[in-house]
Amino acid sequence: MAQIRLFGYTDRLSVKTGQSLTAHVSAEGTTTVQAQLVRLVHGDAHPDGPGFIEREIDSPINRAWPVQRQYTQLGNHLTVDDAAGRLACAGQAFTLYGFIWPGLPGAGRQVLLGRWDLTAQRGAALGLNPQGLLAFWCGDGTRVDEVAAEVPLLRHLWYFVAASFDPATGLATVHQVPVLNRYNSLLGKVVPLDGRSHVQLRLRVKPVEAAGGFLVGGAHEHNPARGAFVAQCFNGKIDRPGMLAGAATRPMIDALARGEAPPPDAVLAAWDTSAGYTSQGIGDTVVDTGPHGLHAQGVNRPVRGQTGWNWNGRDDCYRLNPSVYGGIEFHDDALSDCRWAPSFEIPIPADLVSGCHAVRLRAGEGEQAAEEYLPFFVRPATPRSRICMLMPTASYLAYANTQLSFEANAAQSITAVVPVFSATDIDYQKNGLEFGLSAYDHHRDGAGVCHSSARRPILNMRPKCRMAGVAWPWQFPADLSIVAWLEHMGHAYDMLTDDDLHAEGLDALKPYSVVINGTHAEYYTERMLDATEDYLAQGGRVMYLSGNGYYWVSGYREGEPWLMEVRKLEAGSRAWQSMPGEHYLASTGERSGLWRHRGRAPQKIVGTGFASEGMDESVPFRRMPDSWHQSVAWIFDGVAPTVFGDFGLAGGGAAGVEIDRYDLTLGTPPHARILASSEQFSDNYPLVQEEIMYNHPGMGGTQHPGVRCDMVYFTTPNHGAVFAPSSIAFGQALPCKGFDNDVSRIMQNVLAAFVQPGPLPGAGYIADEKLWR
Amino acid sequence: MATEPRMYLVGRKRWLPRLAGHGDRLWARWRYPFTRRTLLHIRGQFNPKDLAREKKIVDKRPLYWAAGLLALVVLPPLAGVGLESTSLLSAAAVFALYAAINLVWMLIIGTAGIFSLATLAVVGSAAYAGAFLSIEYGLPWWGMVGVGTGVGLLFGVVIAIPATRLEGFYYALLTMGLVELCRVSIVQSKALGSATGGLFGADGYLPDTLDELPALVLGYWCCLGVMGLALLLYRGINGQRLGRLLRSAPEKHEAFAEACGIDYRRARIEVFLISSAALGAIGGFYAAHFRGASPSLFGIDNLLLLLAMIVIGGLGTAEGAVVGTLLVVAIDKLLIDFGPLRLVLIGALMLGTVLFTRNGLFGIRAQFRAWRDKVKSQARAQRTEKGGEVMPEEATEIHDKAVIAHRRYDKRSRDHLKTLVTPAVIEEHRLMPRGQHGDALMRLLAYFRFTAIEDKYALRCDEPFRSYRLIALSGRRGVPPRVVDDKTYPSLDAAYHAVFVKRCQDLLES
Repeated sequence: MAQIRLFGYTDRLSVKTGQSLTAHVSAEGTTTVQAQLVRLVHGDAHPDGPGFIEREIDSPINRAWPVQRQYTQLGNHLTVDDAAGRLACAGQAFTLYGFIWPGLPGAGRQVLLGRWDLTAQRGAALGLNPQGLLAFWCGDGTRVDEVAAEVPLLRHLWYFVAASFDPATGLATVHQVPVLNRYNSLLGKVVPLDGRSHVQLRLRVKPVEAAGGFLVGGAHEHNPARGAFVAQCFNGKIDRPGMLAGAATRPMIDALARGEAPPPDAVLAAWDTSAGYTSQGIGDTVVDTGPHGLHAQGVNRPVRGQTGWNWNGRDDCYRLNPSVYGGIEFHDDALSDCRWAPSFEIPIPADLVSGCHAVRLRAGEGEQAAEEYLPFFVRPATPRSRICMLMPTASYLAYANTQLSFEANAAQSITAVVPVFSATDIDYQKNGLEFGLSAYDHHRDGAGVCHSSARRPILNMRPKCRMAGVAWPWQFPADLSIVAWLEHMGHAYDMLTDDDLHAEGLDALKPYSVVINGTHAEYYTERMLDATEDYLAQGGRVMYLSGNGYYWVSGYREGEPWLMEVRKLEAGSRAWQSMPGEHYLASTGERSGLWRHRGRAPQKIVGTGFASEGMDESVPFRRMPDSWHQSVAWIFDGVAPTVFGDFGLAGGGAAGVEIDRYDLTLGTPPHARILASSEQFSDNYPLVQEEIMYNHPGMGGTQHPGVRCDMVYFTTPNHGAVFAPSSIAFGQALPCKGFDNDVSRIMQNVLAAFVQPGPLPGAGYIADEKLWR
Repeated sequence: MATEPRMYLVGRKRWLPRLAGHGDRLWARWRYPFTRRTLLHIRGQFNPKDLAREKKIVDKRPLYWAAGLLALVVLPPLAGVGLESTSLLSAAAVFALYAAINLVWMLIIGTAGIFSLATLAVVGSAAYAGAFLSIEYGLPWWGMVGVGTGVGLLFGVVIAIPATRLEGFYYALLTMGLVELCRVSIVQSKALGSATGGLFGADGYLPDTLDELPALVLGYWCCLGVMGLALLLYRGINGQRLGRLLRSAPEKHEAFAEACGIDYRRARIEVFLISSAALGAIGGFYAAHFRGASPSLFGIDNLLLLLAMIVIGGLGTAEGAVVGTLLVVAIDKLLIDFGPLRLVLIGALMLGTVLFTRNGLFGIRAQFRAWRDKVKSQARAQRTEKGGEVMPEEATEIHDKAVIAHRRYDKRSRDHLKTLVTPAVIEEHRLMPRGQHGDALMRLLAYFRFTAIEDKYALRCDEPFRSYRLIALSGRRGVPPRVVDDKTYPSLDAAYHAVFVKRCQDLLES
């Protein structure tokens, strides 16, 4: 019997009681799965904690469901709505052209533009052949013929490329003209490189019109099991492609290569990839300025607003000068939405208690047994509690299906331990990363992944998952340790997500006395940050349990909250770096990178910001002298030792993994107090890169004073306050020793105080000190 | 103390001018009529040394063929007429005919890989049939070719059937028997000229009015034309679908080919029919050329000469068939004064090629390269150490020069780190695999952790908190890690330590 593989996702991550979700499931090796609605309480099965806890919930979905294998269309391309068949690429003479910046020449056939059905071997297209040569090919259903340029295209250089074909004579010509300037390409003028080529050949085959429409960056393929899909996707950038009627003459080609407009009477389609930009971002529609208005539609969110063939290095944002930002970047492993057929509806009962839930899917028995969880977060239709547990779903997306430990040299250096892979991790690698990559990975052509989608199976957003790099839970399953603490301590809470915060802003948080963050709220949109800031300013209380939070500027396109975008700029702990000039989010028009570099360091909002990371060991906190001031001493009620938190499910301490620090120069509020600070970290915790002006030896935890984790407290207007232990490991220390421990007591003291409206405990201790000692 | 290895100068000057690229000019490429083949297989490239555009003729054989064929058209008549040597011209004609026979035979013995010796039986029978009909019934020469083709086809049917059933050696025996049978029956048949030692007086294709020398030159050119047709046939079969099918189903690999969906029986029958018909046509032409046929056609000595031609040239190539024939015919017909010694010479040549070459004269190039590679790798094995300094000759083959710099860094690091591996350091790691360590251990770990991802050690969790296993990453997307050994470790710390020990071991062994 075949191995059973189950995968799925829900259409949204956040849902209100009384609403419903759809589950999208794909199954191999079985035709039915047993579904069970569960409430997730704790994920980590570590023996020092309470173990894995889920509670089964009655639901009409608790039954066997018929399922089938569903396929995922990977790869960027543009489809063209050409009902009249004007771009048939058959019958009449035509010319295909565009500017290109190849990202991975020589790695399989890649289509630039045309109408090519590779299963039927029909149609014609301009593209790259497997040898990395620019080629024009066509097929009549039985035979294929090709003309290729003389010299290979080189990676990351801009070229003007074109192909003309006249079926009357059979003459096909490909043109390749490098259009390097001082800025736009990998190489410049000093390289003695002549990449020009114009090759003409009499083809023996006349193209026959292919089924399926005209595509930019892909070809049609058909598979009996899967049906029609798009393959041979291009890797690299395409700028202002088009199609002319008639075989273009050499002067016309030369004019096009200079960037001049094509002769209007010959234009069949001329996509102005730089048109339609707004200061609020760029959509998926690529505007055809030709007479027929054959606008193209991006699939899997091609990266837009990228530097074009004529980028001059002066304008550094597509908002400044769209005309030099016509580049659309394509990747054959990009994914924005699996677009699977719905498998069943998940009605959320009106009386379901808010919290983390999941559909548990099971199939097979014994060795064959397979299990999958589709987690989602249930929010009450109207707020019910004083406590809001805010799940950092934007950051879940950033890490979704990350392959860092498989693919990055430095992964083991960063974590300082040997990665531990599960069977699921290995299976995913082996099967070609069929559900896409994370914002920590690279596309096949080496470009960083800047989009991450929620509409796909996210294998590391599962309750039992342990992240390979560190061998403990990360993000979602780690946040369940906070959830388990809330459940164990009997606190009623409403669960919200980043999606809700981004959609509703301050209104989402307003009803609550206190908002608790997850362990790693790293990716934040401007609206989420604004809402948090406004919430605190109007008297809200935030328990910032994150390490390295509010770090990356991320964005969602309006109306598509399932797809997060981030660009990693010149600073920060970054798995990749955007190319020069490509620093602005196509989704929103904002500059991406670190919030710190846009004048909004996290210190300004929660008092602390990223200081260091390391994954060998976590350490305890030691109380700082200020914690004995009566304005804050209440936080330590019941905590006897000055050193506390030498336990935890993440590295065996409460301070660690990723840690933040107090810094007045970055905007920590002047009245903030450091309640406790971490004990010494190992040298595997180096100072973060954005703190380093000159690099010199001694950046490790044993030598650099900046490598520390500060537990900070300060008050905000209208009885608001922030409690910021600023460590990822803090949340994972809560469930130790049966939830009866010093970290838990501190958490309880703060939460109990924050839930109460009105003045905070210790608020009266503001008089001048008249000290006798 | 190791001595510094000597650095030899490398680099070759290019003496021949290089073909420049077309650059901005249009390159209108030509194709052979009705095919998708361009005139020459040319690759444009950037010279890796100076990045200049150049064109490289990937396959120069068409040029050599053109030059060789031109020489064959021009040189023998020039020499023959110049020296007034009729023997040279008739030898040249014999060469061309035998080359044609060998080319067709090569389809069987080379392309299909079947050791058939029936070739001369087919040629001879066709020649006899043609000559007989011409003498008895006045069949014109072109009729002889037609009849020859028919006889060849018949013969093909007869020999194709056992070819699908009999194995190598037995089939060779069978076909040899067939040749002998033909010879014996002709020698004893009065009708076929047992008394006169052959059939003579058949129609010829040249007008009788021609003088001797022009007739010989014209005859040679006609024979060369036949060879040209044989070449086309060879190309048309060996280079096309049928040839590929046959080459993928050689003897002893039939089962595999069949499993791949190749109907090798059908392909073999097809090639037998085609080649036998062609041999028959050549036989008919042979009779027209010599205006008769003699039993020596079936002689074992003739057969062995034919075999020598193919073996000397090299099995499986057209150029081998032609050049092998040229050599053997030249020795046999032009060195007639040597007497029987020339046969010894042919034998010695054949023995030499069999003993010292892997596939005849035309295998020498590949053989030389293989030998040079062997010498090269032996020399490198002596001069370099694994993971050590890159030698100049290796550097020419490494595109990314940072790799060379990294090799030097790596060697330096390893040499130092080896001195840090001590029992105390290993014990320090065993007691505490994570966290802050002493300087020596920190250095070792920093090196281990930052090594390249290819074949880097990692762990696989079989059962959380209970069972871990050592794996090594592939470093290639989509290729799963390999399991290093069959040991399992009961805790993460034990597994971490196992990886450390393994890495120390690898370091010390390098």
